[in-house]
Amino acid sequence: MQRIFQMDGEETDCWLGHDGSRFVLNTPTGAVACQLDPTGLPGGYKLRAKGVVRELRLAVGPEATFVHMDGRTYEVGRVDPAERLAGSDGGASDDRLVAPMPGVVVSVAVKPGDAVEEGQPLLVIESMKLETTLTAPRDGVVAEMPFAEGDSFGLKDILAQLAPEEE
Amino acid sequence: MTISKLLVANRGEIAARVLRTAKARGLATAVLRHVAEQEGPAHLIADEVVMIEGPTPVAAYLDIPQIVEAAKGIGADAVHPGYGFLSENAGFVAALEKAGVTFVGPTSEVIDLMGDKVRARAFVEERGFPVAPSAIEDDDPASFVERARAVGYPLLIKPSAGGGGKGMRVVREDSTLETEIETARREGERYFGDGRLFVERYIERPRHIEVQVMGDGQGNVVHFWERECSIQRRFQKIIEETPSPALTPEQRDEICETAAGIARAVKYRGAGTVEFIYAQDGAFYFLEMNTRLQVEHPVTEMVTGFDLVAEQLRVAAGDGLSAVQADIPQTGHSIELRICAEDATADFRPAIGNILLLDEPQGEGIRVDSGILDGGKVTTDFDPMLSKLIVHGPDRAQAIARARSAVQSYVILGVTTNTGYLDAILAHPDFASGDVSTGFLAEQSETLTAPGEDVSDLLMAAAALSDERLVSDVMQIPEMYRKMGGWRN
Repeated sequence: MQRIFQMDGEETDCWLGHDGSRFVLNTPTGAVACQLDPTGLPGGYKLRAKGVVRELRLAVGPEATFVHMDGRTYEVGRVDPAERLAGSDGGASDDRLVAPMPGVVVSVAVKPGDAVEEGQPLLVIESMKLETTLTAPRDGVVAEMPFAEGDSFGLKDILAQLAPEEE
Repeated sequence: MTISKLLVANRGEIAARVLRTAKARGLATAVLRHVAEQEGPAHLIADEVVMIEGPTPVAAYLDIPQIVEAAKGIGADAVHPGYGFLSENAGFVAALEKAGVTFVGPTSEVIDLMGDKVRARAFVEERGFPVAPSAIEDDDPASFVERARAVGYPLLIKPSAGGGGKGMRVVREDSTLETEIETARREGERYFGDGRLFVERYIERPRHIEVQVMGDGQGNVVHFWERECSIQRRFQKIIEETPSPALTPEQRDEICETAAGIARAVKYRGAGTVEFIYAQDGAFYFLEMNTRLQVEHPVTEMVTGFDLVAEQLRVAAGDGLSAVQADIPQTGHSIELRICAEDATADFRPAIGNILLLDEPQGEGIRVDSGILDGGKVTTDFDPMLSKLIVHGPDRAQAIARARSAVQSYVILGVTTNTGYLDAILAHPDFASGDVSTGFLAEQSETLTAPGEDVSDLLMAAAALSDERLVSDVMQIPEMYRKMGGWRN
């Protein structure tokens, strides 16, 4: 069965199978035979894969799995490709900027109709006393800037919308 | 006067920390909680929880009439303000006084004096304590630019009403002085509603060293040694330690005695901190005095063995200081790490989420002052600091080793935190040698956020095998198809 995993903004397409005695995760770079056994600690597991055994702590959230391993914490986003295809997304995800947290718009640098380049600043927001500049995710044309300077917005509100890319 | 019932007008880890000491001293205790706020450790410790309301949770904690009413309503005879919120608000102190409730802290006059950076600086300078060369606009606005020039470059422009680094500008060349002054004025107006400025000599590669003091309000003051707080991001401290690796024993005595002298000059009451800028050549200058308990006070408690909240409560009850200077040791080394819900790889963007699994480190020389509970929710309603990890060791190297092992074993799953970043700082050779300045984190930002070993295959395997739906779907496929490695070409 297929899963897409997201780490540090990158997606990896994987397929989980079972060869009769163990699970095999097929990744773009190869097949990984793997086994996960609980250790008794809350969220504690022993992972066997790629010839190593690692003790880890793990928690499964609705959209991501959090893993604490060798003193570091990682977040692995999970996407079921079937759900993504059937998803009710009103456009491709790189068409818009979604608020990473609630906050206030400090300034708006572009207006609908403006042509923008990837990385170009679109607006500055302030959340929890920190100012963050949000930039265009790709080259394109601004379709909508729903918030003006001084407006408050909520988590996951759309802060900027680019026109769909022409095929 | 005696104190029998204490209201803690704060939340999070500091409320829990103050409540623990108050309970241990036999006081009845109460704490505030906003109606929309998650349950935290403080609510489980306090005998009583008083619900407060406001347009935002933060506004509720700043609502003086409501909090004074809350204190009176439950019959509290004293209020501990913690840090932040109303802890340095002279109006709050006056309102409590009027209501006959003891404020655990200094007088409103001292809070007023030290809260005004310009007045505080003048007060300290007049009494012969060291301050950096400076020029204050208010002294004579017409000659401000000229006087700023005379301070010499590089210089630092600061809003008089400022704090937290907002509106501060470094000027290195005379040609940009006037435009930078105008920019700083606009920022001062925007952030603080006050465009008055002052400039002072900018100290290159400075350290931030502060001294914990405690006074009885009668002129008796002791210090509890220094804290080194140079590890800052965006002017916010994230790692503090004591002793400072920069000071010789003679310098340590000098800076600590200077701090105690400043506190004596105002007949300081309660716990306070005198902050200094420490230059590479060993000179130090008064920066400001914080008239409250600091976030980083636990490192002081670890090396002195004193409970600073207990000292605060003693002084507030009129029982005076429990120790003279000679009784206050500085034993071993202590380090505090501020665990924050933020993404160090994305410009310290605050993170939110549900805490799905929490397992705090424990063991010899490890203390955790936490404001979160397993299953809780991290929102952006409050500061991103979730907890503090404090360690103690016989010397600095052992304290660093203990801090690394503790932060690596700190499990917080469900929200992004800075534990990996803190560990990277502790592992940095410059931190180990103690050769850091307040610019360290900015200078080393790439090294400190570099990705570690690529373990993505292991992580994906763990994520796949712990995905119950995925595993059950795989096992429902007839065996001969299950074995196939997908339909990849």
